[in-house]
Amino acid sequence: MSVADDLAAIRATTTLRAGDELACVRIDGAGAHELLDRVSPRQLFVRSGQMLHTLFLDDAAKPVADVYLCCDDDAYHVVAEGMRAASVLAYLADHAHGLSVELVDLSLSHAFLCLDGPYAWELLAEISSPDVIGLPYLGFFHDPRFTCFRGGKTGEYGYDLLVAREQLAAERARILDLGRRFELREIGQEAHALAMLESAFFDVRRAPRPGLTPVELQLQWRLNAGRDYPGSAAITARRASPRGRTVLAAAASELVVDAAIELDGSVVGTVLVSGQSHTRGDWLALALLEPGLAHAGLHGFTCGGIALRTISSPAINNRSLYVDPQRHSWATRESNAFPPLVRPDWS
Amino acid sequence: MRADLAETIAVREEILGKLRGVLIERMRLRRAPAEIDADAPLFGAGFALDSLDAVELIVALDTLFGVVLEDNGLLRQQMRTLNTVVDLVLAYRRGHVGRR
Repeated sequence: MSVADDLAAIRATTTLRAGDELACVRIDGAGAHELLDRVSPRQLFVRSGQMLHTLFLDDAAKPVADVYLCCDDDAYHVVAEGMRAASVLAYLADHAHGLSVELVDLSLSHAFLCLDGPYAWELLAEISSPDVIGLPYLGFFHDPRFTCFRGGKTGEYGYDLLVAREQLAAERARILDLGRRFELREIGQEAHALAMLESAFFDVRRAPRPGLTPVELQLQWRLNAGRDYPGSAAITARRASPRGRTVLAAAASELVVDAAIELDGSVVGTVLVSGQSHTRGDWLALALLEPGLAHAGLHGFTCGGIALRTISSPAINNRSLYVDPQRHSWATRESNAFPPLVRPDWS
Repeated sequence: MRADLAETIAVREEILGKLRGVLIERMRLRRAPAEIDADAPLFGAGFALDSLDAVELIVALDTLFGVVLEDNGLLRQQMRTLNTVVDLVLAYRRGHVGRR
């Protein structure tokens, strides 16, 4: 039962994990949309049943939470990573002046069970209904037993199930029982974090540092220019003079977090996040490099004497990119030919 | 900076600049070039491009870079971010990827 086995399960089968890192807050009331519009760095254009992936920033534009804003008719759910529910409530309350809203901490009454993997959709169909196969990415629905948010941060099919705490043990047991024929594997946070790094998903619990904004973290797609939100002034200023850029890097040996990255004897960056990619057979890092050097496909860096090269993200070729619920299934997986999980190295 | 490194960066920046232009002008992405990060997802959550945009991008690869490819599985994995598309263009130029 190693982390490598857990990671392999994320890449090839289906995994179940307690989503203890996730918080959920429900916003009711006539001012729900306007409240989120005030704090969302991204234009809040989302229909009922859809999720918007964005960030909560502090006034210095440092990401404090990785959030999905989920429109549920006249209400919204905020599914957040990086903040406890109490902090999400406080963050929202700080911006709710003059608005009629009710903030409900669903994390007190509910918890998340998370399914990930190229065949997670098939298990979910067993757990809920075959209709879920048509659930689009960044969509959600209410099942009598849970609310299912389709997001995922591993690059594979991912579903976060919000379950009432009094039903949690029974629901987990039911999923494990139904998952037996899919070789469902229970995994922990460590393998999930590695999968995020391999697929270049932003890890709000590990990547942020003081002074780094979405401009440096290559997260500008989660913002829209011309909007006023917490940290927007800092973003505008930083676009003119970024303090570096992140880029994925690969090495043959262990890379240490916060270690300096050198080029020709000069320090040109630092390691923000590091982990062993069992899928690739090397070590990966999210590196912060000087802006002029933050490009993929560059050789010649060193980190603690270890040779380092930058690579394009994501670092792997996710199986879920090819598994099509209309054509493939767990039962026929052996007869389905899929490309290798590691892209060819052309550098 | 070493000359080979500077040249690699210049080539990648040139290709990235053209690709950002494609996103803005042909796919009507309402972003300034500097806001289009090279590792941002092109499809799905990121810039939310769709299958029609994918066709447009394939056409642009041909007209701008002379890259003509069949969908042999390479396209899907190489069109995930601008950086992976740059890798594809460079691989084509170097002969790592076959021509039709």
